[in-house]
Amino acid sequence: MKYPVSLRITQPLYNQLYQHLFPGDGDEHGAVLTAGIVETSKGTRLLVRDVFLAKDGVDYVPSTRGYRALIAQFVADKSHYCATQNLCYFAVHCHGGQDQVAFSADDLASHERGYPALLDITKGGPIGALVFAKNAVAGDIWTSEGRYPLNNMVIIGSQIRSFYPSPKPRPRTADPKYDRHARMFGDVGQEVLSNLKVGIIGLGGAGSLINEWLSQLGVGHIVAIDFDRVEITNRPRIVGSTRWDAMEWLVRQPFPWVQRLGKKLAKHKVYVAQRVAKRANGDIQYDAIVGSIVDESVAKKLIDADFIFLAADTAQSRLVFNALAYQYLIPGVQVGVKVPVDQKTGTIGDIFSATRHVHPFAGGGCLNCHELISPSRLQEEALSLEERKEQQYINYEDIPQPSVITLNVMATGQAVNDFLMMFIGLFEPDQLLYHQMNKVRQRQSDLVEPMIQADCLHCSSHERSNRAKGDRGSLPCL
Amino acid sequence: MKPDVENAIAELKAAFPRHQVEVTPDARGGASVIVHGLSIGQQYSPSTSWVGFTLVGQYPHADVYPHFMDEGVRFANGEGWKAGLSVGKWAGRSAIQISRRSKRWNPAVDTAATKLVKVLEWLRSQ
Repeated sequence: MKYPVSLRITQPLYNQLYQHLFPGDGDEHGAVLTAGIVETSKGTRLLVRDVFLAKDGVDYVPSTRGYRALIAQFVADKSHYCATQNLCYFAVHCHGGQDQVAFSADDLASHERGYPALLDITKGGPIGALVFAKNAVAGDIWTSEGRYPLNNMVIIGSQIRSFYPSPKPRPRTADPKYDRHARMFGDVGQEVLSNLKVGIIGLGGAGSLINEWLSQLGVGHIVAIDFDRVEITNRPRIVGSTRWDAMEWLVRQPFPWVQRLGKKLAKHKVYVAQRVAKRANGDIQYDAIVGSIVDESVAKKLIDADFIFLAADTAQSRLVFNALAYQYLIPGVQVGVKVPVDQKTGTIGDIFSATRHVHPFAGGGCLNCHELISPSRLQEEALSLEERKEQQYINYEDIPQPSVITLNVMATGQAVNDFLMMFIGLFEPDQLLYHQMNKVRQRQSDLVEPMIQADCLHCSSHERSNRAKGDRGSLPCL
Repeated sequence: MKPDVENAIAELKAAFPRHQVEVTPDARGGASVIVHGLSIGQQYSPSTSWVGFTLVGQYPHADVYPHFMDEGVRFANGEGWKAGLSVGKWAGRSAIQISRRSKRWNPAVDTAATKLVKVLEWLRSQ
């Protein structure tokens, strides 16, 4: 298991756990968490899928070897569930105190008595224990290869919060260039941004704006994914693109073969974005990926991201983005603009921009529950060009759509500001982040109530749902 | 083939036990599937045909459509094809295309087998 080990839990599950552990009686309470897991070269994330609360006096009782303990039947039921669902098992209890917590000697002794057998029952786990104070958490994680402490816990909601076993030392003073930022969200906020890994899927008109703003904000690591090259018609919208990037001197020639050569030699959008980001922040770690998010090897680059922006508009990219959000507990936002044009009359319809948050819990804006991932378009997009022609489908992606930079700003500006408020803690924990639609011609903004499908394979607790399964689920890639 | 596609094919074989199910995997985790000898209704000549379709790698999130049947099938009364039926091509062969998109496809419930049953019911109701 790669260290550091962190635990990710969504705000609704954390609220449920917190209210059970800290009801105001000052006493000790217990629970069990189940979790999926994701391991990368940079560390391990445990992804909480279920919270099972132990009833006081029934499942969590006085113990002869410590203050209280989970009864054997409760442990057996939950560990069996983990074994059958291929999940990790973590016993939870609370201590007093606020900002600092550690296991007692009795706690550690009980782990040593019980966890070797539990590792066998759960087919290698990982398993372990977590102890909570009101603003702190510590963990003792057991695997077949060894035993690891928990580094931190991340709570994913409208405010992204991290808890540690003890308070972190004060961060160093932010770079003077971020002085105006630090006056708003402090050196701590600037350090939070510098430690984030953010994915951007699609580096066209909308994605290139997001890319520039994140770089200027001081985000430390961007993974930019797009397979496309800059075209002459993109130039008015792609931030920082030049005539040379689009090979205009070739594309504007009257000879078709020279035009084709120019298009073939044009720069990939991700490399333009990388140049823009590096100019804004020379220290940024930048992964420019020429490829499609539908390709599993590309999608896997984002499994340890902290946030993902989706700025590509295909059903396939929506499907994989939504799956990443729920399977790996990564919040994200989809942005888009629609300018409907009547093909016969040329009349412009209701122009709208959409900023759709997808947070990894039921009611968090799941694109599948909102019927924003068309099953029929998924089928069409998976076919080859030849097959689509044979089956007489219109290739929507090949019909140029109207697009204007200032309309893209409406969706992306909202999205990036929301992202900022979430990570620097300026949203209240209960701030609702509903899908937001802006009707541009009417100057009207509408919020869309969350939709929940009880058997959704992304966000529900259905046994086939991949929510929080991490590497133990499969991504819907090709 | 992706595990979900393999499961779909196993369900099809279970749902149509007396019919040959021919499977050709593709390079992206999906497969072309043909179920042979299906009864499509007396209003057609012949009244049986193979029915084929593509399961893409993103099944069950992706719908299963269109379906195809033998190019030699005609309405027995000589009428031309109505909406939903047309002459097309599939997997390199000429075929009659059956376009039945599912507006309410639910990947937790709908399967390639249930969709084929619905397509056959629709064909028989024409």
